[in-house]
Amino acid sequence: MGELAGDKHVKYILCVEKKKDSFESVVMEHLRLNGAYWGLTTLDLLGKLDTVDSNEVVSWILQCQHESGGFGGNIGHDPHLLYTLSAVQVLALFDKLDVLDLNKVTDYIRSLQNEDGSFSGDVWGEVDTRFSYCAICCLAILKRLDLINVEKAVRYIVSCKTLDGGFGCTPGAESHAGQIFCCVGALAITGSLHHVDKDLLGWWLCERQVKSGGLNGRPEKLADVCYSWWVLSSLIMIDRVHWIDKEKLIKFILDCQDTENGGISDRPDDAVDVFHTYFGVAGLSLLEYPGVKAIDPAYALPVDVVNRIFFGRC
Amino acid sequence: MADQPRIDEAGENPLAELELILESDPLIDEVGFIHPTQLASLNEEGTDGPGPKNLRFWSRDRKLGISTEVILPLYREAKRAFFDAVRDYKMRCSSCSGGEDEGTGSDVMKHGKALLLVSSDFGTAWNSRKLVASKEESFSTYMDELRLSELILSYSPKSDQAWSHRRWVIKRIAGQTSSLLEIVMKESELVEKIAERSKMNYRAWNHRCWLVSYMTREQVLDELKKSKTWTGLHVADSSSFNYRRRLLTGILEDLCCKEGVASLDCSFEVRHCWKDELDWDEILIKRYVGREALWLYRRFLSLCWIRHFTTHAHSTSCNSNYIAEQTTDPSFFLDKELDLVSSCLAVQDDHFDDFQAQALYSSSYILWLAKQMPSPLEIELRQKLTARNMNDLLSEFCPNSSFLCGSSAEDAEGTQAAQGQL
Repeated sequence: MGELAGDKHVKYILCVEKKKDSFESVVMEHLRLNGAYWGLTTLDLLGKLDTVDSNEVVSWILQCQHESGGFGGNIGHDPHLLYTLSAVQVLALFDKLDVLDLNKVTDYIRSLQNEDGSFSGDVWGEVDTRFSYCAICCLAILKRLDLINVEKAVRYIVSCKTLDGGFGCTPGAESHAGQIFCCVGALAITGSLHHVDKDLLGWWLCERQVKSGGLNGRPEKLADVCYSWWVLSSLIMIDRVHWIDKEKLIKFILDCQDTENGGISDRPDDAVDVFHTYFGVAGLSLLEYPGVKAIDPAYALPVDVVNRIFFGRC
Repeated sequence: MADQPRIDEAGENPLAELELILESDPLIDEVGFIHPTQLASLNEEGTDGPGPKNLRFWSRDRKLGISTEVILPLYREAKRAFFDAVRDYKMRCSSCSGGEDEGTGSDVMKHGKALLLVSSDFGTAWNSRKLVASKEESFSTYMDELRLSELILSYSPKSDQAWSHRRWVIKRIAGQTSSLLEIVMKESELVEKIAERSKMNYRAWNHRCWLVSYMTREQVLDELKKSKTWTGLHVADSSSFNYRRRLLTGILEDLCCKEGVASLDCSFEVRHCWKDELDWDEILIKRYVGREALWLYRRFLSLCWIRHFTTHAHSTSCNSNYIAEQTTDPSFFLDKELDLVSSCLAVQDDHFDDFQAQALYSSSYILWLAKQMPSPLEIELRQKLTARNMNDLLSEFCPNSSFLCGSSAEDAEGTQAAQGQL
């Protein structure tokens, strides 16, 4: 089995940041804050966050914030919960949460909770359990969960549970490993995991492992490195991770590396990107791969960062 | 950010050219990106094309081709023009405070459209369109938005933003149009059309599921019938089975809400519907060997069957004919399922993965069902498995069965207690 080419991945991430003129990077401009979270978390997991100038990143993030308190995916872009979470997570990585005007951000998040407990992603009203996770995770990191109606938020997530034990984006929607991570993560953060049928969901999740050892996100789909994170983190939160073959999964992730130029792809021999590089490294972290820092399965941040937030300095 | 409009080598502004094409043919319904050499040969083919020198765009019969070489300058120029237009529009809106002179958002719409054609998930462009459309509040603008979203989906069928935009439009017009039902049915057809080209598209099928809440009971039944052929031809598309799950669940919920004599007739009809679905799934399982989606769908059908149609076996006053009897007896049902599983475990050829897969899926199907059924039935099923000598085969084909089925001591105690009662 090959080994993790950690140094190459660090180089790849630093280099992507500089290549701003390719079409690939240009069409990702509107979600650059998500990209920053994926890239910087990977660097931190590999112990190389100090290669980045934190002041530069923090000042750019603050320029993405709107009067409403929410963050856009880049300067000048409209705010959304998806980017607001990334902004808060990146600030947490750098231990710079104190630059935030807490009331402003939390008011924005609170304003997006609907009567039935669900969350809209922005003022235009699309509802999705992904946004419930974003809101709950953000507020928990900022220690302001009491600002929303947690009971109703939990009730809405539970209403998105499917007969196979999984969760979809809205009530009646199909189970999807990404949505399952969001729902299980939100339930874990709010101490509501008793609503999950752990054996039933664990069964569905471990059926995601295919012959190659990789995981898919839904039945009949091909394996994809990103599900190493979504499926695995969910299995850990419900204490059923021993139901999959970890060795085979590690091999699958390592096979998706570009060992020459760095980066990880969705499947072996495909083109690499930052998104899959993060999910590959985060997956290996959950699998306790040597040389990678431990990541928290619910907050999707390195465990030492989470510990600093909740048990660190006053 | 560039301050000057970018002029390419031929001295033309690609944005202006694209916008001219879009304006001259507002009904363009498909867009694609083409390599310059291919574009050149396309332009040579027709004599009535936009001109022999055009190496950036091609447009005919409501189809639009954009050269891959022009995408980058086009994106930059469209983004600049779009942000300028939005800034102007918002300034005019705030200075006129809601009066009629606030001006149109035509520039926002024009440049936003060009931008979305090269960057389909540019959320701010979708949002600005919503802002302008909601101020205009005209039915035809909303219809234009549906058309644009369809155009974007023609090259980016998974665009979350494009699907979400459709839902926003439909919610806006839901209260003010008499043609809502017609629109909903057209949406459903659009999903099917897109699903044909883009397999297992979660966003597309989720949109179709969302439509169900706007359908009447008759429409739901009709959809169930109409979408059957498509699903039968795409048995690996698990999402299309989830759509049927959503439709059937809708019918069931509807039934549970009703009371009285009418509901008994209904319940007979729904039962019939369910039985048809189980039979149809079995036919597909035998025809398409080793398809995971078919077995997962069967888990749903069987579990609901046991929960809703067998527990009240003696309390319904439906015409007690043969169908009613055979379909309400859980023991009869379990025997039929075991026959099906047994036939799938008899692997005909070790060398074919499909048969191995069939054996795996059928084993895990029956074990899953056993675990989800009410206790007394689970015991009955396990006794039947023992009587048929199936346990060894099941654990051979489903190696995970040991922890999946007996994972907690609590369950084992529960089973023992239940057995004690028997």
